[in-house]
Amino acid sequence: MTAPDPDRLTRLGKQLDALQARQTDANKRPPPNNLGIAGRFATEMVAALIVGGGLGWGIDWLFGHFGFRTRPVFLIVFFMLGAVAGIRNVMRAANEINAEIAAKAPRQADEE
Amino acid sequence: MNPMEQFAVTPLFSEPLLHIAGHPIYFTKQALMMVLVAVLSSLFLTIAVKPGRLVPSRGQSVAELSYKFVADMIHSTTGSDGLKFFPFVFTLFMFVLCSNFFGLIPGSFTVTSQIAVTFALALLVMLTVVVVGFAKHGIGFLKLFVPHAPWYLLILLVPIELISFLTRPISLSVRLFANMLAGHTMLAVFGGFAVSLSAAGGIYMGIAIAPLLLIIGIILLELLVAFLQAYVFAVLTCIYLNEALHLHDHH
Repeated sequence: MTAPDPDRLTRLGKQLDALQARQTDANKRPPPNNLGIAGRFATEMVAALIVGGGLGWGIDWLFGHFGFRTRPVFLIVFFMLGAVAGIRNVMRAANEINAEIAAKAPRQADEE
Repeated sequence: MNPMEQFAVTPLFSEPLLHIAGHPIYFTKQALMMVLVAVLSSLFLTIAVKPGRLVPSRGQSVAELSYKFVADMIHSTTGSDGLKFFPFVFTLFMFVLCSNFFGLIPGSFTVTSQIAVTFALALLVMLTVVVVGFAKHGIGFLKLFVPHAPWYLLILLVPIELISFLTRPISLSVRLFANMLAGHTMLAVFGGFAVSLSAAGGIYMGIAIAPLLLIIGIILLELLVAFLQAYVFAVLTCIYLNEALHLHDHH
């Protein structure tokens, strides 16, 4: 092994500093890929439908327990509410992803 | 060969560990992997930062980078008062990350491919959010479910917001579970292709190289997914904690 060249070390240090300065918070994050986005939307939607339907079914079951025969009514109503909540979730997720992409865009323009 | 066979939870010892309310509790492959993940990751992190060098060794810089990564993530999503949840988020992140990576070692077991595990983690997150929210805002935490709207719309909007909130533990757990399940099933299916093609002999032996090459690609993709899903789990935890801490401030 030869002794390290001090000039080379300082040059390397400067290069490292320059690279790290360019790496801001947003750049360090993994980019949202298309498959991930699709999977996210699908789970948000399906989960909302399951929760909505489940809640309605539970309320029907509870009322049936006390002698009210509401069986399909709350199931239908809450399933629809679940669908709306699912769309709301997907919109919220889309907004988050948009914000993430927007946060990254100006920086990429700087580098070009 | 059944590609789903790898997800079967089997007891390691025929004797149950203990009985809870008449149900035998076995020490399973799953439990062993969880213990291994927890012990090895904590050991690695403590030993790696022990020397405390100014110029870090490889292990120390991995530990420091993961610390800084999570700290930056919490700071950018919740602000500085979210940093008191750093131990919680960091533990979750490292556990999920290490389970995902350990699962990629051939012959091991992926803890996060079990919905029971991911749902328990997601429930833990949501319970923390609810407890923190009520502790910080009292009954005012319920304002989270009341968007700014005229009262006649609120009749419709409050149940929707409530369902939307209850959706979170499910979507949080299903996303992690489904990603790990899908990836490992895919690996097993293509592995099965390679084995049965080479077993067929003759010209098929030559074709068997194709699924093998594909597996290399999928493994690389799985490495990315393993990290990405741990990151998504942690970042969503931060976002939910932020809502519990600041309610509608970000609007």
